[in-house]
Formats: sequence, C-alpha cells, structure tokens
Amino acid sequence: MQFALPPRGGTLPLHSGRSRLSYQRRRQFKVAAVLGLAVISLFLIFSYFRSPSIISPIPAGTSGIIIVTVLDRAALSEKYIHRIKKNREDYAKQHGYTNFFADVSDYESTLDNAPRSWAMIPALRHAMTLHPHSAYFYHLSPHALIMEPFKSLESHLLDKNRLESLMLKNVPVMPPNSVVKTFSHLTSKDIELVITIDDADLNTGSFVIRQGDFANFFLDVWFDPLYRNYNFVKAETHALGHIVQWHPTVLARLALVPQRTINAYSKDSPGVSADGIYRNGDFVIRFHGCESDPVRSCDKEMELYYDLWEKKVDDE
Amino acid sequence: MSRSRSPSPARSKAGWSTPSLTSLASQSDTSSPNSGISTPSSVGSSGISWETARAKSDETEKLESEGFYLDKDDVGRGKYKGSSRRLGRQPLGFLRKLLRRRTLRVLTTLLILGTIGLLFFWTSVADSYRRSLLGGGPKFVVIVGSNTEGGVMALKGAREWSIERNSIWNKQQYAKRWGYELEVVNMMAQKRYSHEWREGWEKADLIRNAMDKYPDAEWFWWLDLNTWIMESSYSLQDHIFSRLDAISYTDISTYNPANIGPPPFSYPPVKKPAADLILSQDCGGFNLGSFFIRRSAWAGRLLDVWWDPVVYEQKHTEWEHNEQDALEYLYEKHPWIRNGVAFLPQRFINSFPPGACGDGEDPKIHYQEDDHDFVVNMAGCQFDRDCLSEMKRFSGQGTQPPSSEALYE
Repeated sequence: MQFALPPRGGTLPLHSGRSRLSYQRRRQFKVAAVLGLAVISLFLIFSYFRSPSIISPIPAGTSGIIIVTVLDRAALSEKYIHRIKKNREDYAKQHGYTNFFADVSDYESTLDNAPRSWAMIPALRHAMTLHPHSAYFYHLSPHALIMEPFKSLESHLLDKNRLESLMLKNVPVMPPNSVVKTFSHLTSKDIELVITIDDADLNTGSFVIRQGDFANFFLDVWFDPLYRNYNFVKAETHALGHIVQWHPTVLARLALVPQRTINAYSKDSPGVSADGIYRNGDFVIRFHGCESDPVRSCDKEMELYYDLWEKKVDDE
Repeated sequence: MSRSRSPSPARSKAGWSTPSLTSLASQSDTSSPNSGISTPSSVGSSGISWETARAKSDETEKLESEGFYLDKDDVGRGKYKGSSRRLGRQPLGFLRKLLRRRTLRVLTTLLILGTIGLLFFWTSVADSYRRSLLGGGPKFVVIVGSNTEGGVMALKGAREWSIERNSIWNKQQYAKRWGYELEVVNMMAQKRYSHEWREGWEKADLIRNAMDKYPDAEWFWWLDLNTWIMESSYSLQDHIFSRLDAISYTDISTYNPANIGPPPFSYPPVKKPAADLILSQDCGGFNLGSFFIRRSAWAGRLLDVWWDPVVYEQKHTEWEHNEQDALEYLYEKHPWIRNGVAFLPQRFINSFPPGACGDGEDPKIHYQEDDHDFVVNMAGCQFDRDCLSEMKRFSGQGTQPPSSEALYE
C-alpha cells in the first residue's frame, strides 16, 4: 500500500520507543497499585477483627425494654401485688419484654429517711445494672394497670415517627403555665426521657428512660441527697419539676407526650386534667393517689379494670 | 549556547576587588576544568559573594563550551572527554542541569533569601504554624479570671490593679507564644438572681460563654488571677496532653486528702474514663485555681448542675470554697461525675508557694525551682500573705515582665 506522504522519519521510532517505555511504567504502576490496595485492605480487615469494640457482647434473649415496678409489700395486699405482677407479666410475654419487680425495703438504706416514693430511682439504677444491654426502662407505678395487651411500647410510643408526632413542643413544662417551656427544636433522636404532665406536675408514675450516659447523669442528679433532704412537698415529683426548670441539659433530652398516651387517670384521681381521664382503648390506667387517700381503695378501684384486662388477654 | 552577560570587569578603583575573577580566568585557560570546580577556595577572603557566584557561573559556561558536559545526544555514544568518568555519567547530567547559569542564580538567590527568611522570620513562621489548625493552637483557650469581686467586697487598690496587669500580661505572653486563645473574664461579684451572689460559681457560666465564643476550641484552661506561668516554653500539648494517660490518675484513692467517700452506687466500670475535667488536688482536696475542661456532653452537664439553687440554699454558708466544695460534693455523691474526671499530680499545673499548704517543703505540693515547674498558684495569698510580693518573686524567677519595676509601681 502506498501512502501519500512518507512517514516522518526519526520521530516515529522515537515515539514508539517512548510509548513502550511508558507502557511498562504503567504496568509497573498497576502492579504496585494492586499490591498496595491488597496490603491496605488486609490491614483494615485485620484491624477490624482485632478491635474488641466491634464485637458487642449482647447476650441472646436480651429484651430491649424492661418494665420497672416498685412494690411496697408493707403497704400492699398479697392479692393486689399478685394482680399487678400478673398484669405486667402477661403484657411482657406478648412483646418479649422483661419485668423488674423491686420492693421499697430493698432501698431503704440508701434513702436516708427520705420519703419512700424516692425508691423508684435506686430501683431504676438497679434494673439498669442488671440489664446493661437493654435500651429502654419503663417505670410504671404499682397503682396502675396496663390495659392494652397488644400495643407494644415501640409502636405505641417509642418508634421514631410515632414519638415525633406525640412530642409536645414549646409547651409549659410545669402546668399550668411555667415560664420554662419544652424546646421546640428537638427531634425524636434527641429524646432520652419520655414523660407526661397532669394537672399539677410532671408525673413520675409512668415514664420511659433510655439507658446511657444521660440516664446515669439524670438519675444521679435527681437522687441528690440535698434534694431528698429538702422536704419538697411532693418529694421526688417536685424535685423533678425543679431539675427540669433549672437545668436545660435535662430539658434538652425530655419529651412531653399527651397524658393519656401512657398515663391516663381514673376519674377519681386528683389532679386529673380535662384530657387526662381514662377512656376505653387507652394504654394505661392510673389510680393516682389511691394509696394516700383514706376514702379511696386501690384494691376496689382496680377490681373492675383488672377483670377487663383478664378478659382481653383471655380472648386472644 | 550564547552568553547573556559578560563578566564584569574588576573595579579596583571603586575600592573593592574581585580577586576571584582573575584567578578563575587563568584557570579556565587550563585544560583541567575539574580543578576549577573543586577549588572554590580560590575565592579570596575578601571576595564578594555575588561576584563569586557570577564568576562561578561564568566558569561553568566555560566548562560547558569546552565540552566537558555532555550533550543529550552524546549520551550512550561514549564520546566525551575524561572517559574514566563513565560511572558518573548520569549524576553529571543532573549536575549540568542544576548548574546551568540561570538555575544556579535562581537557586542561590532562593537559598540566600530562604536563610535570611528563616533567620529573621522564624518566630513568626512558627507562630503562624502554632496558630493554625495544624499546629493545634486554636484547640486551646486560656481563661483568666480577672477583676475578682471587682471591688464590691473590698476596695481595689493600686496593688490589686498591679497584680491584675501583670498576671494578664503573663498569660498573654504564653498564649501568644503557642497560638492559644486568651479569654480574660470578669469575675466581678454580682447578683445572679434576686438574692444570690455568684461567688465562685460564675466560673461555670464564664466557661460556657468561652465555649460559645470559641466554637473550634476543645480544651479550656481555667487560671485564677493569682497564678504565674513560670515556664512559657512548655506547650500544653507537650507538657500535658500528649502524655495525659501516663501522668494522670483517675482513682481518687490514689491521693485523697479530702477523704472523699465511695459513691453511693457504682455503675458498671467504664473501661477507660474519658478525661473531660483535669484538675489537681492540694493538701486539702480539689483545687480549681488551674484546671482543664473539655468541650463535651459531660462537661455541659457538669457546668449545668454545678450551681443549683436548692443545693446552694442549704450549703452556701457551710461551703467555704464555694464551687470547689460543690464539685467535691458532686464527685462524692454523683457517680457519673467520676467517669469524666482525671487528676494530675499538683506540680504539673498548680505548684504552690511556701505559705500555702505548709512552708514549702512538700515535694508533692510546693514549687521546685530546679525542676522548672510549669505554673505557680499563689493560692490563698489574699488572706494572710502578700500576693503582690509573691508575684514579684515568682515573675523574677520565671518569665519576666518587661521592666518589671515600672509595671509593679
């Protein structure tokens, strides 16, 4: 074949020589790169398996939620305690939760003569120590019944979107109109304490706290000996109200939810807010104050609702 | 290659001579160019460096024109003078490039400029490095509590002003040297709420303000006014933070002068407590004249609960040392606090002068000149000692203020 122009002599062989050289270079580079990558990935893999933090020693069968109930055997009848326990156990069985029943007398030495209602705080800490891998601890007063066996705490309260929709933002944190209001910028991922208010106070009879650094901090502050000695009229309830209003690091982890979500009151309870009275279908009924009012009887008030609960569980 | 410049003539009339030129000219005529290179000593002691450099480059050109250096095309053909230099072929090719006239000139200039630059601007180069994120300076903020009580509780006289001026100067010098931020805060006594004086607790508020002001900083070093940084050549990084694990202790039973009891509960042990608060203990317990606090969730919580009205109401008459006693109380009663606190032996950050905690004989507590302790805290000098004369004494031993006499007047 003939070319119209002769190939430019001299430049061509030089060019081809150069390209061969750079081709070799490129191959060398490639080999080096592959080797380097292999070494790096091997190193990463080894360090991955060697680092102990990756292997989380969560034992099988650990439930995510612990229900904490503090009973006072000195003040409650055997039958009553049995029913409360049965109620919690039936519920926990439905959802794979674990119950933690404590007695006030277990913590009397740590209370230093403070009112017995303070016992819930060491009880929560006790539960957290026994269940170090469980995420949520649901404290429920012994004068309360769970009424919906098939509502899980996750779907009813703790699910990210569900909690987001329940959170009351920029509302007074102490009823009826405290200056301090819940933060409006919080989202569900900031929340470590879910609680309700009734007509008068932040109510400690039914709340969920998440285990972790915040819980350690919050429970320690709440249980401060100088709070316990202070003679707050409503003991730990008022101490909590005080903490929440004075210490924004607590308020920044707290979600208020509508009272009936986890803390509906029976109609005889004092301090019941207009929207706080138990209606059929509510998750929990509280017989708030039944233990301190001589006219009322916790056993009697519970009777009707306990039968209702038993029916619901048996119908299943 | 053409010469772009002719060698400058000797200007003996001008009072300076270039002996090197003549000697080089004679050498270049010889057939041993090698000796021309290896005899830079031919430059007389009075030789002017620029002329020397030029002469050298001229000489190089001569060598080139003589064919001493190989042309690119010649490589591999073996046709060059001095065939015994076969092995040195490639280095010579490199040298040739280097020594090419222009390059040499540029390089020499750069070298000279660089040396001058390093000599004259080294401090500012080092300073700007330390002030940069790379140097780590902005990670640290030094907070000095100034204007203590602000004359509210007692009259503030010339001596107090002098102490204030000098102490702040001392911290300014230190912070400037290492590129740290310095925050002088006002400790004036004032009512925080309707009936409470803030006393010492305002430290918490002031630290929080500093954290807001310097959002990039990690560590905040609180220093009382009655302190003197003795060794400003110690950086915080080298002196403390690079070896924190080795020099600090987290178990209070190691040294427990305040007899702090065990916590009412204990959490499952934390493997390695994160040090969020680093302080030292003197003979009586915690000392907050010089301490470090790290920006963290833990620190935010401590600063939040340090002062509490219910606690204050019950304890403020009993707690002589206010926020210091409050911290000891929290440490004892709140187990979560222990997870964030690390202690340093006192003399790392907080040496005492004689008169505080004894007469100066305790090697755990008192300033040792021979050991070049970092900081002296003239703790308690305001009560029955003389702060100003103590500060004079220590500033004379360590970093000295300029014309100290004038400053102290």
